[in-house]
Amino acid sequence: MKIFVIGAGQVGATIVEALHDEHELTVLDLDEERLAAIVQRYDVHTFEGNGASRSVLSQAGVKHADLLIACTSRDEANIVAAMITKAVSPRTTTVVRTSNPEYLEVWREGQLDVDFIVSSEVETAYAISRTIGVPAARQTDVFAEGQVQLVEFDVGPEASGAAVGVPLREARIPPDSRVAAIIRGDQVILARGHETIQVGDRIVVIGSPQAAQAWGELIAPGTGKVRDVVIFGAGRAGATVARLLLEQGIGVRLIEASRERALTISHELPGVRVYHATGFDPDFLERERIADAQVAIFAMRDDLKNHYAASLAKVHGVAFTIAIVHEAASGQVFEHAGVDVTVNPRQITAEEIVRFAHDPRTQQVVMLEGDKFEVLDITTKRDSEYVGLTFKEMPIRGALIGAIVRDGHAVFPRSDERLRPGDRVIVFTESRRVPDVERAL
Amino acid sequence: MTTAARGRALRRAPFLAVDLLGALNLTATLLKYLSLAVLVPAAVALGYGEPVWPFLGAAAIVGGGSFALQRATRADHRLGTREAFLVVSCTWLGAALLGALPYLLSGDPQLDRPIDAYFEAMSGFTTTGASVVTDLDALPRSLLLWRQLTQWLGGIGIIVLALAVLPRLRVGGRQLLEHEMPGPEIESLRTRIRDTARRVWFLYLALTAALIVILLAFDVTNVDERMTGFDAFGTALATMPTGGFGTDGRSLQPFAPATQWVIALFMLLAGANFALLYRVFVRRQPLELGRDSEFRLYIALITLASIVLGVEIWLEDIAAGEAAVRNAVFQTVSMMTTTGFATTDFVSWPTLAAMTLVGLMFVGGSAGSTSGSVKVVRHLLMAKILRREIDQTLHPEVVAPVRLGRTIVDERTLRAVSSFIVLYIGVFILGTVLLAAEAERSGVDLTLREAIAAAATTLGNVGPAFGFAGPFGSFEPFSDLSTVLLTGLMWIGRLEVLPIVVLLTRHYWRNA
Repeated sequence: MKIFVIGAGQVGATIVEALHDEHELTVLDLDEERLAAIVQRYDVHTFEGNGASRSVLSQAGVKHADLLIACTSRDEANIVAAMITKAVSPRTTTVVRTSNPEYLEVWREGQLDVDFIVSSEVETAYAISRTIGVPAARQTDVFAEGQVQLVEFDVGPEASGAAVGVPLREARIPPDSRVAAIIRGDQVILARGHETIQVGDRIVVIGSPQAAQAWGELIAPGTGKVRDVVIFGAGRAGATVARLLLEQGIGVRLIEASRERALTISHELPGVRVYHATGFDPDFLERERIADAQVAIFAMRDDLKNHYAASLAKVHGVAFTIAIVHEAASGQVFEHAGVDVTVNPRQITAEEIVRFAHDPRTQQVVMLEGDKFEVLDITTKRDSEYVGLTFKEMPIRGALIGAIVRDGHAVFPRSDERLRPGDRVIVFTESRRVPDVERAL
Repeated sequence: MTTAARGRALRRAPFLAVDLLGALNLTATLLKYLSLAVLVPAAVALGYGEPVWPFLGAAAIVGGGSFALQRATRADHRLGTREAFLVVSCTWLGAALLGALPYLLSGDPQLDRPIDAYFEAMSGFTTTGASVVTDLDALPRSLLLWRQLTQWLGGIGIIVLALAVLPRLRVGGRQLLEHEMPGPEIESLRTRIRDTARRVWFLYLALTAALIVILLAFDVTNVDERMTGFDAFGTALATMPTGGFGTDGRSLQPFAPATQWVIALFMLLAGANFALLYRVFVRRQPLELGRDSEFRLYIALITLASIVLGVEIWLEDIAAGEAAVRNAVFQTVSMMTTTGFATTDFVSWPTLAAMTLVGLMFVGGSAGSTSGSVKVVRHLLMAKILRREIDQTLHPEVVAPVRLGRTIVDERTLRAVSSFIVLYIGVFILGTVLLAAEAERSGVDLTLREAIAAAATTLGNVGPAFGFAGPFGSFEPFSDLSTVLLTGLMWIGRLEVLPIVVLLTRHYWRNA
């Protein structure tokens, strides 16, 4: 596949590293030195010039590209590059990196002529939500802009009898959710109505965020949910995380050093308690009992500040810390300082974009149980053999549809629901059947 | 310093920082048109065979005087925020003058003293409803109707009327409107102010007409034996502006329960935000009522106070059954919307019930209604300000905007609300003290409770107080000095204190 990458920064370089072996890459950038650094390490074609210029794109031969990845740090330049490419070469798939969630919203409403948008902030928020969303869960994954969650639980003896020990079709499971699979020892059972969850099983549940919380309560009564997350820094990253957590019913406190920004964010997020303070003031941390927070997230723009604040929070006794880091080397530094999780938005964005090179229709892939199972977020083709069928009628081929996203809203289908062309489906499937599923849908 | 620069003569600084002549010019224009309103009672006088000349005389004096003043001052007025304060204050003083002249010129013995006539007129235009008249039946019909009409004109505002009707009032209209419209400005008016003014007046007119029709129907069908055509018009003209002048010396007591319930309903509407009512009635969006946090609190407070009053008067055997419910609801709505009608003489009520009524005088209706006093939305915002202050005492770093529904109220408005409430209470206390002291000096029998009620009722534009100034009584026994003070309180209350206090500051008049 011929792939154009516009932007040779941290994200661009990561993408090139992942794709240069299998694909024919052309990298565009304004900066000669960056391109030189890329050429030294990888066998790719480079082109110096403005990726948002039509003449530059044409000269570089964008007409022949199968995929265009616009991943400079400037949102508008990325969007313009994608739109020009679409005009010059309609068959080229375009993927745009943005750091502004608003563009994601506009795109979702179909008002931006770009095939896919990847928002670093949103992906970062997903990554954080995965680590803390449901305390009782082994693993949590987020799909469809947070509307669909996939949660893995280990069923212990304390699990509620409402869901365990009775056939699934009789079990009182939370609405807007379904059990995708039951993992019993080495055996993986795709959950149909007659199956029964037993103590000692590991189960995979797909459902709405509320349903995921309710499942947590069913499987481990009393663990409750995360109530108190403190986020340092209310920039775009911090705000996006706060919004996502809030939507999942998690209590959020935001600490922002700029008075103006603190005001703005308190206007935008009515449910969040906003403080105008720095994370460097021990008196403040003490007075507001920051140490009592279940999770502290450091989302300031400056790694040095995040590092200091995280260390200080650790000193004050915060149990679990997550840091958003920006420099490639920061991950190790933070972990050395005892930060529990580090999230690099550029790394995550690059990983997300790389997926499009595999199958552009597949928006998200999650591996479960090592790599035996995958969860795909895939848009159905117009001519898919499954379109028009009800879920009851679909042949069982080691795959299960957990949720569909129709017109931007998640639907948790009943068995008599029909699949429509253009539906985004969240499919749980065995890894070896992934190509079959992709073909069928 | 070069000699060239020194050689140039310095410009003379203007004596006043405010364009006094321009403000007077606009005031005169407004009064000139307002004096035409006198033609209505003049026509009524013709119909009843009563003397017409007091009205024509008043029109001639105020109209002619205004015309002369308008000619004498510059028409190229530069009307800004500053002048607006002066225009609004002077217009209302001038309107009361227009209101007083027919009383004076008619030579009726109850209103022939200038101070009394001016009090009555101010009480009319400010929709207070306090009266120095002791025997209403002795007044000519045309004068009685003029009393009611002054309330109706003053209800939604003289300047709002002018904005809706007059084509040339474009400059400075917004500032003028802001000072005259009751309540704080939460969302700045986005529509053209002329449209706003027209909508409000259209609704005001329509609701008044509806009430007149209903009351006339009660008269024709004999649902209410006491009701006459004159009462129907007169009562409706005093209900919609939350005025409270009665056409009977015993307010609404002689009228049938059905009439009292209908009046209670219309007082309730008059105390609601007219912009909200416009959306509900004209745009047919009834769900807006439930979404409006001020309206919800307004209804909740009325319900709560009605229950307290109902239980109280039932337990004290003042009334029972339907009468207790009716009197409680009517009196609550009447006092809270600052109308001042009465279905019973509450002067004799026990302390808790009486103080509940005094308390209601401080609540008021909604912003953008015709009611006076503090207004529900200010109480709501004040509560939110206090809650935030208390929160920030313990958590000084918390940033918490104050919201009203979905709107974020800006800090300036919040400060204005706090200052308003402080000033309002300050003026009230000062008024009470002065009234009590003056009553003692002039030998008028006025208890402290009655002094409190009299100050609260005039400042809040309610009407009746306690003692001799109760709902079936009269303000006539007050000394002249007290009458002047009460007139001032009504004026200050109607313009919501701040515009008048601004006039008392040095930097309003002088630049340096």
